[in-house]
Amino acid sequence: MSGFFRQHRLRAATLALVALLPLRAADLPDLFAERVRSCVTVEFLIETELERQPVTVLGTCIDAHGTIILPASAIGARVAVRQLKDIKVYRPNSSAAFTAEYLGQDVLTGWHFLRVEEKFRPELVPVTAWVRAGTPEPRLADEVWGIGLRGKDEDFRPYFLLSRVGLIQPMPQVTAVAASELGGPGLPVFNRDGALVGLTLNSFGQNFLMFSRRERGVPVVLVNVEESSVFLLANEVLPYLGRIPRNRSGRPLPWLGAFGLEPVDPEVARFLQLENQSALVVSEVLENSPAEKAGLKGHDIIVALDGRPLPRFKPDQVTGTYLEREIDRRQPGETLPLTVLRDNQRVDLKVTLGDEPKIIREAERKYFERLGFTVREFLYGDGIARRVKLANQAGVIVDFVKPNSPAAVGDLVADDWIREIDGREIKTYAEAVEALTAIEADPNRAEFVLLTSRGTETAVRRVRLK
Amino acid sequence: MREVTFEAGARRFVAGVGSGVILSKDGLVLTNAHVASPNAVEISITLPSLERVGARLVGWDHWTDLALIQLDLDEVKRRGLAIQPATFGDSEALYVGETVLAVGTPFGLTRTVTRGIISNNRRFEDTDSIRGYETGTFNTWLQTDAAINPGNSGGPLVTEDGRVVGINSRGYVGADNLGFAIPANIARRVVDELVRHGTITRSYIGLVPGTLQDLEHFYALALNTGVLIKDVDPGSPAARAGLRSGDILLAINGQKVDGRFPEQLPPIQNMIASLPVGSIVRLSIKRGGQTLEVPAVTEKLASRMGEEWAFERWGLSVRKVSRAFARENQLDDDTGVVVIGVQPGFPGAVAGLAAGDIITKIDQQPLAELETLKRIYQRFEAKPVSLLLLTMRDRRVSLYVLKP
Repeated sequence: MSGFFRQHRLRAATLALVALLPLRAADLPDLFAERVRSCVTVEFLIETELERQPVTVLGTCIDAHGTIILPASAIGARVAVRQLKDIKVYRPNSSAAFTAEYLGQDVLTGWHFLRVEEKFRPELVPVTAWVRAGTPEPRLADEVWGIGLRGKDEDFRPYFLLSRVGLIQPMPQVTAVAASELGGPGLPVFNRDGALVGLTLNSFGQNFLMFSRRERGVPVVLVNVEESSVFLLANEVLPYLGRIPRNRSGRPLPWLGAFGLEPVDPEVARFLQLENQSALVVSEVLENSPAEKAGLKGHDIIVALDGRPLPRFKPDQVTGTYLEREIDRRQPGETLPLTVLRDNQRVDLKVTLGDEPKIIREAERKYFERLGFTVREFLYGDGIARRVKLANQAGVIVDFVKPNSPAAVGDLVADDWIREIDGREIKTYAEAVEALTAIEADPNRAEFVLLTSRGTETAVRRVRLK
Repeated sequence: MREVTFEAGARRFVAGVGSGVILSKDGLVLTNAHVASPNAVEISITLPSLERVGARLVGWDHWTDLALIQLDLDEVKRRGLAIQPATFGDSEALYVGETVLAVGTPFGLTRTVTRGIISNNRRFEDTDSIRGYETGTFNTWLQTDAAINPGNSGGPLVTEDGRVVGINSRGYVGADNLGFAIPANIARRVVDELVRHGTITRSYIGLVPGTLQDLEHFYALALNTGVLIKDVDPGSPAARAGLRSGDILLAINGQKVDGRFPEQLPPIQNMIASLPVGSIVRLSIKRGGQTLEVPAVTEKLASRMGEEWAFERWGLSVRKVSRAFARENQLDDDTGVVVIGVQPGFPGAVAGLAAGDIITKIDQQPLAELETLKRIYQRFEAKPVSLLLLTMRDRRVSLYVLKP
């Protein structure tokens, strides 16, 4: 019943607005006041072994169930879901905090999804309420505006930002760059009539020269973290709002299994007689991956996807992102038809995408307080980074070392690969945890000895406990 | 000394100043490898009389940082100059606290003498390279508080009675009076080899030793027994023989080794290096409770620094990938050349190449030898055409077109 009412009320609100618009189109302060209700500030903590790191980001409400999207960069790729604590959502102009649940990250858009508690939902208006059928895409020089949000000490006061479209280009999503900042990163962008035209991305870096008493004209890149001048057009946003992850891991994760897809520049494309298109050189094909099973080889040059030549993007690196997105919009089990250039011959391949092996944020970890370090399980990706064949993959990885702890004094550093503990070979994560738990529990233990690898060097490292 | 460098995508010349010790009436002079290298194009020596004479390189050994040069004797005779060889002392007989004097040209100040004592007569120094070349693996150092500054390099460290006991080589930058000299006894052995062969051939088995200090209990060893095998180079003779990290090396060809402390390791490394190349060495190993006798076949020791060259019309300077470099960087083999410099505005830089790229193929042809690239360059000079390069950088493969 409540669902019905909510929808009903929403539709009524939308109708009312449509009716009002022609009369009050010029009234930007009113449009602003209404649209601010789609924007939120989100605070959370990332809990590590020793500290709690506070994070503040902006988000946009996308539906009537209180679903909020946050930009991909809001949470680092190494952060495990269980490290996210104390998620709080604030509406503009208010200090009242509401709780929210983390739903997961969508692989294609990169968005993190949250759902706020029930009682907060009536306060929010989904951004879809500002979609107007027939709204033209913004063009060069069109006026566009958005919303910025001040900090907690100012009760997240919203403010108005206005600019004009300076450039529109596919990256590969169609992206607009405005002449100046027009909104907080992750918030909606509107046209003069208040219709939704996009969603801001993180701002691009800008080049400046920095002068100081000591140094003259040092080149620096500055990134505005509070406001952005870059936005994705609505057509690159609206079709994907339904991609709410089914689980907090964001699985399934479609997987090709080719490492280092490097774009060719236009000179190379011309040399290879690839006119008006791009291509990607495959650096390595990963062991036991869908790419390997389909017969893709290192040094192959991918020239077409699904029979269509790879489009040329500017800069060249976008071509890699384009292929990644083409993979990510598919499901494991679907095919990815590729055409590659191998020894000047064109070869057609059909890759059946897989589900990516466990990634770092999903890894099992355990912190040993007295020893002063955290171990995590050895992942497929660790094997790639260390060039270790699947058959030889064993042991655990040091995930964290507490400063000045016995482990730190014993010269252990994060990313060390532990292969033996006290002369005993460690095959699995469980074996490592068992061995380290026993060492930690033994108050008479004076030391323990690890065989570790770091880069190409292997060494015996001794950790003194007394 | 003037030498050629290949760093910036071109052949350039740099000049440097060091010191040296006259060894013999026939005009041999000992200095540091980082003073006179095979890249030297012009060496001139200022004698104590302040007369300047030309010289040429005889031999070079970066592992011990020593180089041997030969005065132009004809010139010496023609001008009637006198040379007086130095007398050597026994560096093993030095005691800590003994007074020593350093003679050299610090910062170009000729004939400077500084005085100090032997601060430590068997220092192990873990700096493993000078300008990329491995050094210090096979020798310990004399540490002195006699002031050693840039320009002192290659000059003698002498006792109060004027006998050369060391070759001053390095000092810590920013530290006070921490200077290091190569012991004369080691230098004399190196000189003998360099005089005969111009180079020193050493054996390699691929063991990286570690100290056993306080680990004897863990490995159930008697004190002062064995060397910890910290690491084994992948693909090396030791790896092929089945040795692995954590093994304890007890003896080499039946001769017991003791590597409890760091300064004990260079003589052990030198013992392995002194074996004939291609010979079978018997390694006695302790692994857990077992003792094993493992045979390994020695290989010739090679530097990680391959030959350098500059292709000036491309604005590209390169260094051949060596086996050691390939191993350190987990490359499949030693195919290719590493870009060490590009000159802005030249074809290499315009194509997008940067220092650190490894060029593995050119026009589909694998670059197994530097000579292959030199031949392609000659053809390019005669008839410039576009070339397709395949490169690797951090394991990522890229293509570039080198255009005339």
